[in-house]
Amino acid sequence: MLKPILLVEDDPRDLELTLVALERSQLANEVIIVRDGEAALDYLNRSGEYAGRAEGNPAVVLLDLKLPKVNGLEVLQAVRTTEPLRSIPVVMLTSSHEESDVLRSYQLGVNAYVVKPVEFKQFVEAIADLGIFWAVLNEPPPGSLRTRRRHD
Amino acid sequence: MSALPLPDLAQCASEPIRTPGAIQPHGRVAVLAADSGRLVAYSANWPGEDAVRQALAMVPADAGRLQPGNSPSWLGSLPLDGRTYDAAGHRQGEHLVVEYEPSGPAASMVAPIYHVAQQVLPPLQQAASVDALCGIVAREMKRLTGFGRCLIYRFDADGHGEVLAERLDEGYQSYAGHRFPASDVPAQARELYRVNHIRLIPNAHYDPVPLLAAAGEPDPGRLDLSFASLRSVSPVHLEYMRNMGTAASMSVSIVVGGRLWGLISCHDHAPKYLPFQTRVACEHLGRLLSLQIQAQEGNAEVAQRLALHQRVLTVVALMAETDGTLQRLVEPGLAITELASATGAAVVLNDTCWTVGNTPPADAVRKLAHWIVARGDDLFCTDRLPEVYPDGEPLLPACAGVLAVSISRVHRHCVLWFRPELVQTIRWAGDPRKTLPSQGRISPRQSFDSWQERVRGRSAPWLPAQQAAVSELRQALIALVLRRAEEMAGHAVELGRVNKELEAFSYTVSHDLRAPMRHIAGYVDLVLEDNADKLDDRGRRYLRHVKDAASYAGQLVDALLDFSRLGRSGLKPSLVDTRVVVEDLVDELKQSERGRAIEWDIAPALPRLWADPLLLQVALRNLLGNAAKYTRGRTPARIRVAAVSLPEGRGLEVSDNGVGFPMKYVGKLFGVFQRLHRTEDFDGTGIGLANVKRIVERHGGSVWARGEPDRGATFGFVLPPAPNNNDAADAGRSEESA
Repeated sequence: MLKPILLVEDDPRDLELTLVALERSQLANEVIIVRDGEAALDYLNRSGEYAGRAEGNPAVVLLDLKLPKVNGLEVLQAVRTTEPLRSIPVVMLTSSHEESDVLRSYQLGVNAYVVKPVEFKQFVEAIADLGIFWAVLNEPPPGSLRTRRRHD
Repeated sequence: MSALPLPDLAQCASEPIRTPGAIQPHGRVAVLAADSGRLVAYSANWPGEDAVRQALAMVPADAGRLQPGNSPSWLGSLPLDGRTYDAAGHRQGEHLVVEYEPSGPAASMVAPIYHVAQQVLPPLQQAASVDALCGIVAREMKRLTGFGRCLIYRFDADGHGEVLAERLDEGYQSYAGHRFPASDVPAQARELYRVNHIRLIPNAHYDPVPLLAAAGEPDPGRLDLSFASLRSVSPVHLEYMRNMGTAASMSVSIVVGGRLWGLISCHDHAPKYLPFQTRVACEHLGRLLSLQIQAQEGNAEVAQRLALHQRVLTVVALMAETDGTLQRLVEPGLAITELASATGAAVVLNDTCWTVGNTPPADAVRKLAHWIVARGDDLFCTDRLPEVYPDGEPLLPACAGVLAVSISRVHRHCVLWFRPELVQTIRWAGDPRKTLPSQGRISPRQSFDSWQERVRGRSAPWLPAQQAAVSELRQALIALVLRRAEEMAGHAVELGRVNKELEAFSYTVSHDLRAPMRHIAGYVDLVLEDNADKLDDRGRRYLRHVKDAASYAGQLVDALLDFSRLGRSGLKPSLVDTRVVVEDLVDELKQSERGRAIEWDIAPALPRLWADPLLLQVALRNLLGNAAKYTRGRTPARIRVAAVSLPEGRGLEVSDNGVGFPMKYVGKLFGVFQRLHRTEDFDGTGIGLANVKRIVERHGGSVWARGEPDRGATFGFVLPPAPNNNDAADAGRSEESA
């Protein structure tokens, strides 16, 4: 079974469009949707609302930069400083290409950074590329490999 | 004639006038040891050592009463050789010097000093000016002494004596209004006049009487006779007197504020002796004059300083209402020339010069100001510029005097006042140049005939009060400048805050404005794709317009953000080879414009420019991209890249044979979102050239454009050359920290 994709997005329209894009890219991975940074961390840490979910990290986290409560950069920082989570691939999705965001994201160890193109067609292509690379092609790091075997 | 060898004039200044080892013959001297009272030396005109001891026994000298530094005190009278003598003593270091001189006529029961106190003091106190004071004293001095001529002169800044008042008998040459050259009174004589206020030479034709050592005592040649009234004077001076036709002379010092201000000088054709009491009165009169002059000058100076202080306050108050830049000083309303009674003034800041009133040409003022600032003094003052400043001569006659205050040496900032040349005619009492050697020995001058000299290259002297006023102004201006600097620093902080706000704003714009555009474009795409069959052509066309409009708005937002980023990011300049950059960009364009026939004509030698490589590439991409874009439809399109070299820097020019533009719109070309072509004809956001201009101007360079409709356009820019190494490092740092 494929590991899920965690999509963290607060804007309902962006969410819908991203889901359409993911759908069009024909990925078989389940997409878990959370609407803010706090929920994302709950999911990843299996705490709060997600305390009862099955073990295992997602294949990739698609993370919006601007999020309520805990923003994308904070989520990224938490992921990278939490031992069981730190090897999860994280792709930053954002409207902005402000330099400081790009720089900060890379400093925090983001795997990719995508400025959502205005053109929907390009957006679909970008999401498809990302999904194929991170959810299908990319060989997960050793830690997550063991986890997968246990669940397979 | 003289027992001592005649020194020549050159040795005059080193002559030991305080220790001549001899006295004048009109009196006698005994020198005692102050502690033991034993006789040390005596003058050779005593009958013998015993006679000295007898005289001392009659009028004892009390060492306790005579304090060092005081002029001789009267000890008593005694008969010597059948005459009455006055004995006066003073203390000189380890010695007591007792002098014996014939007394005056006993008939006068009223000491001369009482007359001075009763008759002269009241008019002196009422005198309105220094000249009036001198007139009164000259008259009284002549009456007291009975000398044929009595004159009072003041030493000017150069040490020349200027005659202020004169009283004379018939047959005496007048020196009123004349000057005596400084060389007439050598430095060590001047110093002695400053401490010992009276000197009498009853007969210039005298033979000095040497001092003899008492039995068993050392040679008295080194005994200090500075305060002895009988001290034998310099043989050069005696020759000077004889040349002047004077047999007797007396000088009384005028000492003001511890400085030898001038002399009361009395002459007579015949030998003339003044007894002790008369001399005391003369010395007293000299002291009265000194005090009155000091008071008059002091009052005048205080009044001047007060008036000028008021002026300084006014100027500073007016300056405080302006932007604080010192060039405001030359505004006529401030009248800063009056602060120093100048005819013109100037403010110089580095290479810029602002003037008011009569000044030398701006170039000359600037040069002079830089010379003054380089001296490193806070205050510069001269009333004879050509003597101190190598390029001063050509500035005459408009400027001979300069007063200047330096505000900043780093910025070569100073304020100057100017005064015109004042050609003076000086009447010398004898030609001061005619002290030429005659037959091997230099003698004092022979002629005291009036001799006129025209003095050029000088202005009226700057008064101490005026110098103080401009110094005070300097302090106030520096305070003002510092305060402005603080305000500027405040503005910089404020600017930083506003910039931060702007950054936050553009972030919001980028994020929040871009998202809705994306949503519109995205949903329209979805509708077009999923529901294409349900729409008619018109509906599909409308939706495509919606989508294009949203995409375009998104591009505008992106372009605007790029533009604002250009203004905010720091410059990191280095030497950039524009040839490499141009070649890369041309390759890029050849790819994107595939299928078009473009003839590229790139000059073989393109300059290396001092620029931020990334920003320079953005600018060149815009220029080359524009050339490619606006030549669409030309077959072949021709694009030429050439090197430009101007006095202000080097750069590039990109020319094309495209659609061009009318020159009347050239001013709009570089504005944000200014477009000269319809969107259907040429796509674009209209921000490219605004970016080019902003980039070039951030580098301190300039841009230009030439065009003609349908004939093509040329765009060019130059950047200033690389600063020298140190500056480059500094510039790099300040840009990064900004």
